[in-house]
Formats: sequence, structure tokens, C-alpha cells
Amino acid sequence: MKNSRSVELVVAPREPHWVGDGFQVHNFIPSGPRLDMYRMDPFILLDYNAKHDFAPSLSPRGVGVHPHRGFETVTFAYQGKVEHHDSSGGGGVIQEGDVQWMTAASGVLHKEFHETEWSKKGGPFQMVQLWVNLPAKYKMSAPKYQAIKNADIPSYPIDDLGSKVEVIAGEYRGIKGSATTFTAMHVYNVSLKEGTKFDLTLPSHFNTVVLTVEGKILLNDADTVPSDYLALMANDGEQFSLEALSDAKFLVLSGEPIKEPIAAHGPFVMNTRQELMQAFEDFNNGKFGYLED
Amino acid sequence: MNHFSLKSFLTTNLSISEDELDAIQKSCIIKNYPKDAFLLRENEHCRHILFVEEGLLKQYAIDEKGKEHILHFATEGWFLTDRESVYFHQPSKYFIQTLEPSRIAFIDDGFLQKLEKKSAKFRDFYNLLLHEQIRYLQARVMMLMSQTAEERYLQFTKTYPDILLRIPQTMVAAYLGIALESLSRVRKELAFKNFRNITT
Repeated sequence: MKNSRSVELVVAPREPHWVGDGFQVHNFIPSGPRLDMYRMDPFILLDYNAKHDFAPSLSPRGVGVHPHRGFETVTFAYQGKVEHHDSSGGGGVIQEGDVQWMTAASGVLHKEFHETEWSKKGGPFQMVQLWVNLPAKYKMSAPKYQAIKNADIPSYPIDDLGSKVEVIAGEYRGIKGSATTFTAMHVYNVSLKEGTKFDLTLPSHFNTVVLTVEGKILLNDADTVPSDYLALMANDGEQFSLEALSDAKFLVLSGEPIKEPIAAHGPFVMNTRQELMQAFEDFNNGKFGYLED
Repeated sequence: MNHFSLKSFLTTNLSISEDELDAIQKSCIIKNYPKDAFLLRENEHCRHILFVEEGLLKQYAIDEKGKEHILHFATEGWFLTDRESVYFHQPSKYFIQTLEPSRIAFIDDGFLQKLEKKSAKFRDFYNLLLHEQIRYLQARVMMLMSQTAEERYLQFTKTYPDILLRIPQTMVAAYLGIALESLSRVRKELAFKNFRNITT
């Protein structure tokens, strides 16, 4: 039996705020208790759009043109569809169950909106946006996308009832995740049927959280994590148990800390203040490209 | 969001005694405002110097056709006031409004004038600030008289490095005295010239 990892804190969702007019998000990282950028390294932001019903709209809601530099944005679509476009001519639609892993690195200018046809119908919308920091040596590398379709995400069945671990990055029981990453991490979407229980073993120094997006789960037979709550795991061991108290779906993030200084302002996350100023200058001077609003 | 307290501004820039600092702080009122709050309206008398601890302000006038002309933005660490109103006691021609939730220190002008008389050090410092503002206003006048749209835009980004991400383009155009289309054209041309010259 590997040494057990305890639950450090179960965190309630904070008051939501709007990102543009399309995303109503609860921020967990970095503004939640004990969830700052250094504690959660390499995860520097976690915005959770809990289930929200959008009325039909002919003009899609979303967030207009904005830049990123120095990290990766990872969008997990649980319900609803998001369309994105960027300054190098790229674009696509993130569908339910898909994950988009965008390496902004040296700079991307993009916009994200509800997909046009989905927007016309409206309905429940649920997403997570995660920012994963990049080590200094990759911060100015070329941007890239990994558009990961749900059908292409390998999964490991936990029972015969449909409980499974979808391995998005890293690995689980020998199954390698779809996304390539710059530092070591494990990222899973887990579906668990009521009453099913299983163990996760993750390196103790990897910073780890579990976000319940549906249902209710019990950690280590003791701590209940209701829907829309996040559990921060302590770094005191490797193995912990997860049990569904009702049919549940949750996101597991576990990453090896990069342990470098962080200088962050708005959409730029660098190592020094000077690099931040350079990011603003490059953005102002068009070095991130151009994209119509 | 940035934080920039008046106290740290004064202690960083001015060798000031604890008593003087206390007196300034006591004469200040610090208030929090939501987005879109008015701190000054046209025809009111401006009686304070505003210091932005957090957030963003704009000072603007509306012409007879209803068009908005933005005189200044003030981000964290900036002072803002209507000099004509506060010093010459004229009704203001301007509005001052928050563009983000903001934390503002209101410094009483009468108190500053008394402090200037009492402390030579403070007078010199205040004099320097006024000259900094005159320098900025001269550059702003020359910008509006003689610069191309691109030159205006580049000067603007040097004055306010992080503001493009915080305000709509229409406000940038209203500050630069150019049409929105000209601003879009300038930004597009710069991007075509500079895009992808950044990967090391």
C-alpha cells in the first residue's frame, strides 16, 4: 500500500464574474484560498463556468480579441460549443467532451465565442478554462494547438457500468494521454457511477486538485466534494480514494511544479517584470498579429 | 489588478517625515467606486486632486454635437484633476468617470497649498509634478497638431503601456483624435510589419 494523500481543503465556488458576455466563471486558481499561482504551480489559473443556461442569441456571446503569452490555455467543454479564431488564421469548434490545448507561448491573439448554430438555440453551457505555465525556456517558443476530439481521448474503464478515466494528458495505468505537455502532469476527466470507488496514485510533489463538475464524490471515505466544488489535495502522500455518492463527473489536475519566478499581469505570464513590459510593448506594436473584432 | 497606494507613491518619491505623511493621509479620503461611476460632472466645481490607487479613470468633455473627446486616462499611480476648476475655481468643463472598479484617493487642494507653504521639500516635489504634467500636455498638444495616426498611436502606447487591453478601441480613437477606422488601419499595418518577429 502506497502512502496515502490527504485532502488539504474543499473549496466552495466563489462569486462568479463574466469574461466577456459569454462565460460566467467561478475563479478557483489563483484567487481561491491556498490556490495561488505558487501553491498550484504549474497551474496558474482555473476558471470554471458552472452549468449556466443561455437564452438563444442570433449574435453569439463570447470574449473578443485578446492576447496571451508565456503559458498554455486548456479549454474543457462539458456542455455547449465554443468557436475560436486566432491571428495566424487558425480556428475551430470545441464540442462537448472535447479539449483544446493551446500553447500560446511567444504570443497568440484570439477570440472565443459560442458556436453560431449552438448560440441560436442556446441551452446549458459548462466549461473549464485552465492556464498551464510554461518553463522559461519554452515561454517564447512557437504557438501551437492540440484540438483533442472526445472520440480520440483514450479511456480506462473502472467498472462495467460506464465508469471510466479519460486520459487527457500524462498517463493512467499505462494509458497515455492525448495531449503532449512541456512539463510532467496528469490530467483526467473521470466519470463515476453512483457507488463506484477507485484509487488514484499521483506523485506526492505534484500539485493536485479535483473539481466536481457533476454529482457528488467522497474522498478518502471522509471528505464530500459536492458539485461545483474543488478539492485541493495535500502533498503528503500519493494515493487517495474517490467514490461517487451520485453519478459524478470530475476533472483531476496533477502537475509537477516548475519552481520558477512568476511575473503575471492580465493575459501575460512571464518570469520577470521586464519580460512583462516587453509583452505589452510587443502586443501594442502588433507583434501578436491582427484579428478583426 | 494593480495596487498602487498614495502612501507608497509618496514614500518612494519624496523624503518625507512621518508627521507630514500622516497629515497628507489624514487630509485624504479614499473611496471605492464601481465601474462607470462619476467623480466629476460638467459644471460642478472640482475641489480635489485624484490619485488612482487601483482602477482606471477617464477625463472627457462632450461637445455640442454629443461627441466625446477624451482628454486623459489615469491608471494606477496617476494623478488627475481639472486644474482650471480646482485652482481658478471655475465650473468644470469635464466629466471624470471610472472605467473599471476603482480605488481613488481624494487629496484636498487647499491642504496641498498649505503644505507647500510649510514644506520646501514638498513644494519642490509638487513643482516637479506640475512640470511633468506640463511636459506631458505639451507632447499631447504636438501629437494632436502634427503627428500621423501611427505616431499618435505609438506615443499613446508608450504613455499607457497596458491600457489597450482595458478599454474599447472607440475610446483610444477618441483620445487620439482619429477615426476608429484609422486606428484599426494603423494597428493592422503594424501587425503586418511586425507579426511573427518575436519567436526567439
